[in-house]
Amino acid sequence: MLRKNDILRTVRMLQEENLDVRTVTMGINLNECIRDSMAATADAVHAKIKSRAGNLVRICDELSTEYGISIVNKRIAVSPASILLERRNHEDALQLAQAMDRAAEESHVNLIGGFTALVHKGITPGERILIESLPAVLTQTHRVCASLNVATTKAGINVDAAHLAGQAIVQCAQASREQHGFAAAKLVVFANIPEDNPFMAGAYLGIGEPECVINVGVSGPGVVKRAIDRLIETHPDCTLDEIAEEVKHTAFRVTRTGELIGREVARRLGVVFGVVDLSLAPTPRVGDSVGEIYHTMGIRNIGAPGTTAAVALLNDAVKKGGSFASSSVGGLSGAFIPVMEDHALSKAVQEGTLTLEKLEAMTAVCSVGLDMILVPGDTSATALCGIILDEAAIGVINRKTTGVRIIPVPGKAVGDFVDFGGLFGAGTIIHINCPDGAADFIMRGGHIPAPIHSLNN
Amino acid sequence: MSTNTARYVIAVLLADRVAILKDITAAISDLCGSIDGIRQTVVNGYFTVSLTAVFTPPKSAEEIRQSLAIKFAGTDASIVVMAHHPKASRQPVRGDRYVLTIVGPSHPDLLKTVTAFLAEKGINIEDWHLGSDSSGTSHIGEITIPHHLDLKQIQDEFRQTLAPMGLRSCIQHENIFRATNEVCAIRTLLEGKSHA
Repeated sequence: MLRKNDILRTVRMLQEENLDVRTVTMGINLNECIRDSMAATADAVHAKIKSRAGNLVRICDELSTEYGISIVNKRIAVSPASILLERRNHEDALQLAQAMDRAAEESHVNLIGGFTALVHKGITPGERILIESLPAVLTQTHRVCASLNVATTKAGINVDAAHLAGQAIVQCAQASREQHGFAAAKLVVFANIPEDNPFMAGAYLGIGEPECVINVGVSGPGVVKRAIDRLIETHPDCTLDEIAEEVKHTAFRVTRTGELIGREVARRLGVVFGVVDLSLAPTPRVGDSVGEIYHTMGIRNIGAPGTTAAVALLNDAVKKGGSFASSSVGGLSGAFIPVMEDHALSKAVQEGTLTLEKLEAMTAVCSVGLDMILVPGDTSATALCGIILDEAAIGVINRKTTGVRIIPVPGKAVGDFVDFGGLFGAGTIIHINCPDGAADFIMRGGHIPAPIHSLNN
Repeated sequence: MSTNTARYVIAVLLADRVAILKDITAAISDLCGSIDGIRQTVVNGYFTVSLTAVFTPPKSAEEIRQSLAIKFAGTDASIVVMAHHPKASRQPVRGDRYVLTIVGPSHPDLLKTVTAFLAEKGINIEDWHLGSDSSGTSHIGEITIPHHLDLKQIQDEFRQTLAPMGLRSCIQHENIFRATNEVCAIRTLLEGKSHA
């Protein structure tokens, strides 16, 4: 039997605390679309995406009405596009991306991920074509998002691929100079990329995944913050373990909401339900911020000593609550720290309390990596490669996902302010300490071997 | 129902105190009655219970009422005993269960407005709760909305009806509340057979 207080608590989470389903992402495998020519392949890709995702938005809107919960984004993630680019050229890559873009637009989804190459152990000709095409693809399409996986715990780190990724980021930023390098915001470089991540820009459909699947991303930093606020109001002397417990309970409720919606969408579309990814993914709105949670926990200045511990507490509690709530938890599931998309984190960078080095430390215990960070426009590909390698090392050694989504903003220097608008937010150009000080190390290229604990068979 | 049994609907209303149900069940049991349905609640200090009971051998309604009245002698308890007619049950509304919430300042005509709105649409109220505190009132209704109705239109009309009174309202499928508050597999909620 439903109790009055339970009902009112759920209503409050939905109406006042920004609990929503952040994304319903349909994964679609495109491998069957390979044809003799790229024109035919692109047509097949367009047709398959349309046939699978044509009703996605309508079904999501129906459920949003029925359950009274906002489903903010409806998206598509496809199998790695690089598979369709073997024996193709750069023009073919753009044609493929444009077919994906058009299908996404006609399906009324706002982003499509999967312009992806998995290059952690080596690079095929098709994967190289994909990487080299990124500047054209990400500037000449509106909805296509790209990702590269340059390292895994099992394979180690492909330094050559990381260097190519650094070059691609620079070129993407330069190619979108008029939009402050925005194309680079649609490219994520991963270590241990998850195959079922529903969140953009890194979503793609892994090669071990079903032919078509619904994955759901739920968020709710506002709900978590208010839960901690209420705990502290009623128990001003509460300890950190009591805060962790409160976060865990809240994460349970949020995750359940996501699974309910995900399973219903999948059922009505007649496809498989995959995972629910509970990630505290902020938006630039006040009240929807992960940084505000740290403030509430007692971190007055984000970046101060103790911040990494706060991130670890939050990330762990979210995972524990989520894992109890559902047996279908996947993706990233933890706390995101996308600087531009979180007004509190962005302010901390602006005020100088949160530095790149501290962010890097935080990524060792959060669920993703260096996300939506603005760096000077003259940052070299080598420096970006160094940042990618550091993040990859954290991911590989800790057997977790790490990602890098960094935007070198052409013509901008440390301290300059840039606003992308909308969900991508705004931020301040951050300082990179000795950006090219590791160039000799990086230019050796090759491969950083897998760690000893990967030899576990 | 066997001719050797009689089934009654019994309602008791009185100021709340400890052990009211004990007295009621004892009175029924003393008459060889067996309770097969019961719902009790307390509203602003007043206890009320509705129950159905089968008596073997049959007893008269007056006999049962007297037996209960003895238990509550000296109080202003109101006791109703009436024969249960199986055909009295309404046809169940075929639809899904939703939760209706209204939050905001109290308003004298609110319940009249809401119940009229729902009745006009053929929406059945299964349960209703009204609470109030310093910030205003909160109504929670469990309702069944017939399948043929356009939910979006109902929600929009309902919001528009209550907005002039300064009230926030929402109609949501009950599964969102069960998902967030019950420990059971989501799949079972969707199959409509939760084991929680």
